[in-house]
Amino acid sequence: MNLENRKRELVKEFSPLLEKTTKVSKIWMGILVAIILVGIYAFFLQLFKGHEVTGMRDNVVWGVYIINFIFFVCLSYSGAFISGILHFYNTPWKNSVSRIVEIITVLSLIIGPIFILLCIGRLDRLHYLFLYPRIQSPITWDIIAIMTDLVGCFIYLYLTFIPDLAILRDHSEDAPKWRQKLYKFLAIGYQDTTEQRETLHKITKTMSAMIIALAIVAYSVLAWIFSLTLQPGWNSSIFAPYFIIAGLYSGISVIILAMYLIRKYYNLEHYIRKVHFVSAGIILLILSLLYGYFTFSEYFSRWFSHKIHDTNLLNTLFTRYFWQFVLANYVGVLVPVVILFFKKFRTIKSITFASVIAILGLWLNRYLIVVPTLETPYLPIQDTREEFVHYTATWVEWSLSFAGVAAFILFFILIMKLVPIIPMSGIIDQEREAFNKKGNAKQTITE
Amino acid sequence: MQRNIFKNTSFTCFLLALLFSFSLVAQETTVDDYKLSFSFKTVKKFDNTRLLEVSFIGKNREDRKDKIPVFDAEIKFFNIANDEEILLGTAKTSNEGVAQLILSEKQKYITDEDGYINLTARFEGSDALDAEEEEILVRDLILELNLEEIDSVKTIFVKAFTLDSLGVKTPVEEVDVIISIEGMLSKMKIKEGTIENGEIEFELLQNIPGDKDKNFTVYAQILDNDEFGDVIQKQTVNWGTFNKINTIDENKLWSEAAPIWMYIVLTILLVGVWANYIYTVYNLFKIKKEGKKLELSQEE
Repeated sequence: MNLENRKRELVKEFSPLLEKTTKVSKIWMGILVAIILVGIYAFFLQLFKGHEVTGMRDNVVWGVYIINFIFFVCLSYSGAFISGILHFYNTPWKNSVSRIVEIITVLSLIIGPIFILLCIGRLDRLHYLFLYPRIQSPITWDIIAIMTDLVGCFIYLYLTFIPDLAILRDHSEDAPKWRQKLYKFLAIGYQDTTEQRETLHKITKTMSAMIIALAIVAYSVLAWIFSLTLQPGWNSSIFAPYFIIAGLYSGISVIILAMYLIRKYYNLEHYIRKVHFVSAGIILLILSLLYGYFTFSEYFSRWFSHKIHDTNLLNTLFTRYFWQFVLANYVGVLVPVVILFFKKFRTIKSITFASVIAILGLWLNRYLIVVPTLETPYLPIQDTREEFVHYTATWVEWSLSFAGVAAFILFFILIMKLVPIIPMSGIIDQEREAFNKKGNAKQTITE
Repeated sequence: MQRNIFKNTSFTCFLLALLFSFSLVAQETTVDDYKLSFSFKTVKKFDNTRLLEVSFIGKNREDRKDKIPVFDAEIKFFNIANDEEILLGTAKTSNEGVAQLILSEKQKYITDEDGYINLTARFEGSDALDAEEEEILVRDLILELNLEEIDSVKTIFVKAFTLDSLGVKTPVEEVDVIISIEGMLSKMKIKEGTIENGEIEFELLQNIPGDKDKNFTVYAQILDNDEFGDVIQKQTVNWGTFNKINTIDENKLWSEAAPIWMYIVLTILLVGVWANYIYTVYNLFKIKKEGKKLELSQEE
């Protein structure tokens, strides 16, 4: 097996993905940039006019921003978790999804905390969090967890990129000079020697284990921001595992959706196959059952205990938020379960549809965790204006939310222009392993 | 339910508007349903200043719980003697219907031949409300409060006397006095008695809690006396006890410093994770170094 030739072949195969931009993708990128620009305008409006331009008021101080924050951060943690599992256990189908997962992990961990910054009224006092941290506060834990996780995810993503960057450095003679220089710089002299490969493998494996542990800790800390308060609907002992399961549920769904889109628009049917969708679909089925169980358990115990504030909250959920509740907790769980449970429904399109339903359901579930609780405070403010009690997101919040999603997709596309979405080094490793096995078998027969 | 519906200057319009709005609501309430209570009292305070206070309240004739303070009503205070009226000052009633005027200790009063000061409070009326007036006749009383420890017995001496124009002291008789100690929210009564021959003494209880410097304030009060009105005297004394709070919250969830285990767990976690990052970066440098070596050997 001639490794260099094989590497050249792979670069040749994937270089159109890196270097050529189709008209459709240009239009898409233009639309995404336009959405981001509207978001930037909304941001400046909020910056100069204050939070008055949002729907957040005295009672409901957390709105769509915090929901997006939880959603993206959970996505990141679940991405880190799944990616860690894929690498740590050297899962057979990791090659097809691992890079998608890793990019999702890092991007969502960058986009998510930006929403927190949008939610803070006095950004000029942000540095106080670092100057005067209160170590007893879950908010402080979350800041530490997010920063530590972000650095860890960056390192981890970089580690998985190195072998591909080295291949691209050595076989991109036709690429522009800036690209060649960039690959050379980022590949840090990796020559794929046995020693280098072993060192890289060792630290990647350690980092993958670390990333799994970090994801669990960071997930739990995020859940504790809510559950360590005494607020009805938040004060729950199962919130941390509930958040982990919900995060994994949304994470797997976003991965399936990304797999579908990448497969379709980049013609990667050869690498991202139905078997990958079915495997991911089965994981999604297990997670949807677990998520449904946790959701039922959470609301059932609140309903049964019949504490007055919990009852008020449930009344709000079943009146003002009835349809959202049904969509989030019935449709968002049962539709994916039904689709994924029956073998004949497990087609690529239906699995992707189930994952889209799961994503929307999960986002709504987050909304129902945050907003109705804040709308039913322990101390109701008398004679308050309606808009101070009830929350409705304004166009500023929506445009910034969509700008976040657009930025996520745009950066995803841009990263895909830097390195192939299917790790070439992974393909080489697989083929090398197969070759070695074959060689060993031949040797045994000769002997 | 307390509502402020009376106002002096522009309050007729306000009152009418309010009554009109009242009439639109279920119950039709008019000013006639309220009986106005105009009460006046005077307090001679410990610094010899004199407080003149009027409470102006409308009480519902049928519903005793329904009281409405008359606010922003101008009250004039006079010292009257021998048909001569001296305006001492004016004050407007507060939202609670109370008007207060404090007269300095240097204020001179005209007295009648028996030594009584005639103090009058007057509300001159408005379109909606009738004029009100109340007078008080009081004699100027000098109340002295002395605190002494005699043979380890903490004793309170109270002396009360009047002064005539020549400065001759006349001890008072049969005047009730209350001894109290200033608490956090109000004065706590500890003794009471009647002044005979111008004086009385009390033995103070032991182990009365004081502030952080063991100080507490003792009050001698003559209240609602027909002859002297309210007279208050006070003294602060270092006779108290101070119970130190023995348990200081250290390293608790709610204290400034977090519980020790929290620091330990967080440090272990962070050191563990960041040490691994450093180890990873160190290995990346090793890979880079080896790569450079290989590059050099290839060039050679």
